[in-house]
Amino acid sequence: MRTVLLGPQRFLTTAGTTVQSVAPEGTVATVTAGWQDREPADDELDEVMGGRSRNLRLYERLTDVLETDGHFAEQALSHRDAMDELAGIYSLRLQRALESVYAVARRPARHDIADSAFADAVRDVRDIDAWYLRTVDQLYAELEAKAPPAESEPVRRHREEVAEVLRDAAVLAVAGGHVGILLRCLRLFAVDPPQDLPVVAWSAGAMALTERVVLYNDRGPQGVQGAEVWDRGSGRVRDVVAMPHARRRLRLDDPVHTRVFVHRFAPATCLLLDDGTSVEMTADGSVPDGARVLTETGAGGGAL
Amino acid sequence: MTRAATKLAINRLIERKPLDDAAVDRFVERLVAGGGAPIIEGSRATFLWRGDADEVSVRHRVVGLADPLVLRRVKGTHLWYVTTDIPEGSRIEYQFEVTRDGHTDSFLNDPLNPKLAHGPFGSSSVCAAAGYHVPDWTQHDPEARPGEVVERTIASKALRRQVTYQLYLPARFRSVIRYPLVVCHDGLDYLNYTSAKTVLDNLIHRNEVAEMVVAFVSPVGDRLVEYANNAPHARFIARELVPELTEQLPISDTPVSRTLMGSSFGGVATVSTAARYPDVFGSLLLESPSLVFTDIGQEHGGGPVFDPVVKFVNRYRARPRRIADRIYLTCGMYEPLITPNRSMETVFRQAGMEVRYVEARDGHNWENWRDRLRDGLGWLHPGDQKFVYE
Repeated sequence: MRTVLLGPQRFLTTAGTTVQSVAPEGTVATVTAGWQDREPADDELDEVMGGRSRNLRLYERLTDVLETDGHFAEQALSHRDAMDELAGIYSLRLQRALESVYAVARRPARHDIADSAFADAVRDVRDIDAWYLRTVDQLYAELEAKAPPAESEPVRRHREEVAEVLRDAAVLAVAGGHVGILLRCLRLFAVDPPQDLPVVAWSAGAMALTERVVLYNDRGPQGVQGAEVWDRGSGRVRDVVAMPHARRRLRLDDPVHTRVFVHRFAPATCLLLDDGTSVEMTADGSVPDGARVLTETGAGGGAL
Repeated sequence: MTRAATKLAINRLIERKPLDDAAVDRFVERLVAGGGAPIIEGSRATFLWRGDADEVSVRHRVVGLADPLVLRRVKGTHLWYVTTDIPEGSRIEYQFEVTRDGHTDSFLNDPLNPKLAHGPFGSSSVCAAAGYHVPDWTQHDPEARPGEVVERTIASKALRRQVTYQLYLPARFRSVIRYPLVVCHDGLDYLNYTSAKTVLDNLIHRNEVAEMVVAFVSPVGDRLVEYANNAPHARFIARELVPELTEQLPISDTPVSRTLMGSSFGGVATVSTAARYPDVFGSLLLESPSLVFTDIGQEHGGGPVFDPVVKFVNRYRARPRRIADRIYLTCGMYEPLITPNRSMETVFRQAGMEVRYVEARDGHNWENWRDRLRDGLGWLHPGDQKFVYE
């Protein structure tokens, strides 16, 4: 199984050479659903892919399903409302638990007491993350029960078309963008590439291949909010939190911040995917030695 | 730093020999070419007036600053000046009052200052202290896809009349998704004096606030009555406007997706409507709400229009309760309402609501409320910025 995760492609384009090396010939199936209504504006991407790309048009398909299957659309909107409510409550619980972790981490105390207090406070956060993901699973199960994709004609049709393109493809390239929309599209149209199909993914695309998608932006307009688990990804890569734009979005210079991050998501490795980064995962989907990862003291590991 | 560099520009002018009106003219010309008065030097602001006068003063409503600020004449010239401390990041609205030959002209904007703020009662000059910048997201951005403002009418039984309001629909408005709804008191004033449409277009474009539908509602009768804990007004908002919008538009039908907002008396209308219908709005956005109260007696100093407000707030403070899930509360440090709002923050919080409280170095005016919209709307209805990894 070949999977290559890349950093952002906006300023430094390595996707083309990577795809060329992974699959020198054949169709490149592309996903640009994260670009939402800009999905079709993929001329530049096609050029980078050597003119052999075939866009799966997942966002367009999602829009079609919502417009043509009233029952599915109704259930999907209710599901989204429920997800929003869940995210609100999760955020409420999470912020308080994180405040506790930071307060404990910054308080001077005897080492053994400080360490056990820190570990216990982090455990609370991990419990909240786990509760959130369990509830996400529950909400997806509810949606599946109320509007089974197999019973929706447009969903079935689009799934078949997508599967056909993937069958003929030599490689799948997943671009970044809005990771929430991207995940929704990949899930709805069952885009689960077979093990023998190489995948190259960057930014949000890389996040979507992990088991657990984590959102973060310490430099947003609301200041440091604390990272939030959002959803499950495809799980093609294992024990990894993919972190594109880490330098731009994370306060890597704050040792307490990075320490909390590392402990919160352990044993998963926080893989830093900044501009120019290219990481070929091991055959079983794990992080290779030497990759640049987040450590307790900041960024560590291989060079860019 | 040299002694000359630390000396204020006005003092350097005063020490100039000879000092005559021609020298003053050159000084003023340079000042106007450089952006105009007042002169901002670190935390010091020097206000200037040029012309024949017997007395000149700066008038403002900044709590803590002497009012009037009386100007002195530069000897042998027609230039008047006063220097005062203005903390970094401050923004102050002011006007001049000039007495000449026994006659006083008031509410005069500063002719040497091109920066004006507008409101329902006219314009004022703006003193922007060091560190204050007009936020770029309040200015037109050609990259931002424009939403649409449409005028609509609703027949209100509660108010016994047709109510016209403005509805903001975001760019790419689609019926297949559901939007949060914000209902905004003093709607036309928000559109006219806070550039609300531009602000929404920009913040949505930047993914800083969610795509949303905003109903800008203005008072139909006497604002000071309608917004002062008025049952028909609350019924109109909660039982007529919100249900009709929810039925006609793709709006999420959950309290968490609904926000009621307002400033000044519009803030009172917001709190009192939420108090009467606590299950309708999940969030409140309050900008300098006139939540005046008394701890003893009834002497609140606000005049008769505040009587029903004080009665309402006193009653609420006696038995605080949850009226929403989240409240974004902001107030200018330089307005008299800062004291009651500092107190109300605690009251709201202790009633079990999540409160974000923000003070600004500004006063009771529309540009202050404009400048807080990003923080308030972004907190209550965050955009998808955290989801986007290009």
